[in-house]
Amino acid sequence: MSFSIKQGEFVVIFGESGSGKSTLLRLLKRELTPHGKKEGVIYYKNRRLDELDDDTSAREIGFVMQQPEVQIVTDKVWHELAFGLENLGEPTDVIRRRVGEIANFFGIHHWFHKHTMELSGGQKQLLNLASVLVMQPEVLLLDEPTSQLDPIAAEEFIDILHKLNRDLGLTIVLVEHDLEKVFPIADRVLLLESGNIILEAKPEEIGGKLKRLNDTHNMLQALPTVVRIFNELSDQPISPLTVKEGKRFITEHFNDHIVRLETSETSANDETPILEAKNLWFRYERNRPDILRGVNVSVNKGEIVTILGGNGSGKTTLLKVLSGQRRAYRGNVVLKGKKLTKYKQSALYKQLIALLPQDVQTIFLKSTVEEDYAEIGKVMNGTKEALEQSIHKIANLLSIEHLLEKHPYDLSGGEQQIVALGKLLLLEPEIIFLDEPTKGVDAYSKLKLRDLFMDLKAQGKTMVVVTHDVEFAALISDRCGLFFDGEIVSTGKPKEFFANNNFYTTIANRISRHQYEGCVTAEDVIDICKLNGVKKHEQNIH
Amino acid sequence: MRKDLLLVAVIVLIGVILFKGTKIQSVEEYYLTHIDDITPESETIKISIRVDAVLEHLDKLPESLRSEKYIPKDGIILEETEYVLRPGDTVFDVLLRATRHHKIPFDYQGSEENRFGSVYIKGINHLYEYDCGPLSGWMYTVNGEFPDEGVSKYKLEDGDVIAIQYTCDLGRDLGHPYDEKEVNP
Amino acid sequence: MRGFATFHPFVLFLYYAMVLIITMLMLHPVILVLSLFGSLLFFLTIAPLRQFLLDLGFYFLMFLLVAITNPLFVHKGETILFFLNDDPVTLEAIIYGFVIATMLVAVIFWSKSFSEILTTDKFLYVFGKVVPKSALVLSMAFQFIPLFKRQIKKVHEAQKTLGLYTSNSITDRILGGIRVFNSILTWSLESSIHRADAMKARGYGLPKRSNFSLYKFEKRDLGIIGALFVMFFVIIFAYIKQYFAFNYYPAISDFTDTKQYFFYFLFVFMLTILPFMMEMKENLLWTFLKRKISASPIRNKKNVS
Repeated sequence: MSFSIKQGEFVVIFGESGSGKSTLLRLLKRELTPHGKKEGVIYYKNRRLDELDDDTSAREIGFVMQQPEVQIVTDKVWHELAFGLENLGEPTDVIRRRVGEIANFFGIHHWFHKHTMELSGGQKQLLNLASVLVMQPEVLLLDEPTSQLDPIAAEEFIDILHKLNRDLGLTIVLVEHDLEKVFPIADRVLLLESGNIILEAKPEEIGGKLKRLNDTHNMLQALPTVVRIFNELSDQPISPLTVKEGKRFITEHFNDHIVRLETSETSANDETPILEAKNLWFRYERNRPDILRGVNVSVNKGEIVTILGGNGSGKTTLLKVLSGQRRAYRGNVVLKGKKLTKYKQSALYKQLIALLPQDVQTIFLKSTVEEDYAEIGKVMNGTKEALEQSIHKIANLLSIEHLLEKHPYDLSGGEQQIVALGKLLLLEPEIIFLDEPTKGVDAYSKLKLRDLFMDLKAQGKTMVVVTHDVEFAALISDRCGLFFDGEIVSTGKPKEFFANNNFYTTIANRISRHQYEGCVTAEDVIDICKLNGVKKHEQNIH
Repeated sequence: MRKDLLLVAVIVLIGVILFKGTKIQSVEEYYLTHIDDITPESETIKISIRVDAVLEHLDKLPESLRSEKYIPKDGIILEETEYVLRPGDTVFDVLLRATRHHKIPFDYQGSEENRFGSVYIKGINHLYEYDCGPLSGWMYTVNGEFPDEGVSKYKLEDGDVIAIQYTCDLGRDLGHPYDEKEVNP
Repeated sequence: MRGFATFHPFVLFLYYAMVLIITMLMLHPVILVLSLFGSLLFFLTIAPLRQFLLDLGFYFLMFLLVAITNPLFVHKGETILFFLNDDPVTLEAIIYGFVIATMLVAVIFWSKSFSEILTTDKFLYVFGKVVPKSALVLSMAFQFIPLFKRQIKKVHEAQKTLGLYTSNSITDRILGGIRVFNSILTWSLESSIHRADAMKARGYGLPKRSNFSLYKFEKRDLGIIGALFVMFFVIIFAYIKQYFAFNYYPAISDFTDTKQYFFYFLFVFMLTILPFMMEMKENLLWTFLKRKISASPIRNKKNVS
């Protein structure tokens, strides 16, 4: 492949996992060039990349990786910022000035003296970015830097990238799977597929071009909501990119005779609660603040309940209490009419409850997925044949047969989620708790995850999901709740829930709420627009 | 955690006290000892305690000890005194009886506390080992000989003459042929 | 803790070295009481009151324990109070016990304030100056160890909800622990590969690495070092000259010498009270400055409008 990036450009690279995005990006940074056979030449400022001197290469091309934690080298924020400059052998007063400057630019001065461990994921990634920028690079390469962050931190991060590009003219090459926020600010977008650039265009043209190229392409689903809606409704080459533009597109082109979609939703759910929490209070230590303050929640059999909430609001803690890992100091969790505390631990986590933690890597202990799955045999006490059978059944259900021989750590984020979920399913739980199942999962894999959830639901599994991914919650939930200040403050069916929210709602809802009611997914908006039909041209003339 | 440590220490202390017993005596009670009267038939020994060697090295002593109270001018802490020899008496038994009788402070390491399995004399009349330089300490002779045994191992016989002496030079100043033997266990 | 702790780490290191040497070397009751006094006052200014009182209570008990233990094992001293199991319990041994206990508690409180104000980065800085290569290694260790511990905890929790290792048998638990540890090793290997990449990407391994630190050596640091050395040398001089000699056995010295060399004890007092005075000075300065700030016309104007 060949391509060139101009100075000051903001280029976004996307593609399915395994399309070679990361490899390409690493090739651009000489120090990180993967092993293997390389042909062709990369030029940086008209010089061959491999002929640059070490100092320039380290200094002028910055690289930020996916995992916030593994990039942090030292124990203190200030030291981390200084690390790169120390390597370049800068004298103390230069380092002092640069570090001060960058800390100010990023607003890091509030936590300048902290231990790097104490930072939130968003802060860590910001620190990683700052530690690269302190070396004053000319080009910044980023490999899915926001995939491990919550939406608010991710947005902040992207905003800073925008600011760097716009105000400082920094050249940015960003590999990203969540295109929602980056499309509006990108200058150019490259779509990669099995090691080739199959598309290269301005962001507003990508949707149309991709559709013409292949109108069932997987990556069509990964495009931003606005582009997806536009693609379904129009054949124009230039698509809107922001909510503002999307709104205008709908107002200008579609009637508003029908305001509400007739929902065919019949609640087929069993109305008997399988899990009930009554007035839960919890704190970690005696003189620490309460994290749960009177949580009431009830989950019916076969339901998918999503609990939304900001970062650090205590959602994970709630999940730990509901799943019996931690014990509330007041209030009870009742599982199938019996108090959770009355269950034996061994009984609880066998065929009853399973919890998928946020960091799914913690699920895996073995060097292949299959070996790891076999571990469950110890819990289930079945015969070897029965175990093998159930492993293959699960693998088939999740369509992960091709992953069984792989090392769990070598899988992509989406694959890890699904494989970890598979391990839980071997325990045949009735209730599955999931903590941020979409973390590090790309848009296409999210859809696969949704399909899987629907399958499981059809099998009668109950699921409680904790997430800050509003879009995903809208896709899967039977009911949603907002967790805030130690309580679940509002619950409802996703349509009502998001329709009632002004800020905490999906993009599709934001695009359509001025004209239609209760549309929360892109599909809803597409349906209602099609139902209403295109405004007659005559009407516009009047 | 540290509270536990403190608790352990207290328990150990109480244990030691219980184990060792708690016989408390006033000073008068302690020094009120019975000394057998010497009769013509009784077997006897003689014992003396001297610090002559120190007199030549008074400068080596810590200031707090440079007093006649601790180092008499004539070097005699206990002049040669005759005591009744009880059956099985060792040097230590006699020494303890004599110091107690004369109210001379006597500090020793019990035979169970050291590797020699014998009592070790630490200090008499506030004069301790090492007080007069690194080669100083208490030694004893019986009938002018330096025995190889510790004080609580040496069984006495009728007519023995014991001299407890302080040395400043591993016994060489007392006429001990120095042959790499310990000072006085 | 704005006052004393803001001095250059070298100054702090030096100070603690001097104070500890003096506290442990000179078994003079007055010096030890001064040292204890100074350490307590300083700890009071930098620790929350509740913690201070708790610590004080705890170490008071320890103090008593140490103090009464000495006479049980040491029978020196001419003032015999009574005989316990035929061993004399002397006034001198009891007093010596208290003196040793005072020293111990003083050293403990100095160490407590030491660990409060010589934070890891200051410690690393001083250490790194002595052995430059170690600074980064230690810093990385301090970064990684908590991360490692947290990961172990996370894996354990995750495995528990999988129904693994919930049994009560000890062998199961140990085997489970080993398994978790193995997987953590893989994890740390994995993350260290990424970390190595991140380090390389930021130029680690280039030949001319420098060592950055936040600490500037200011004029006042030089000033205080001068003052510290003067005090220290005066004290050591007095020590060598036996002005601080004090005997416990066989009889306790009297305090005539102490009165005579009062001047030298003043230096010990100054040295031990120094951190506390620094804090106080800063506090006073701030109350004064605050008044000045709140009295400024700008603030008044704002209040009016």
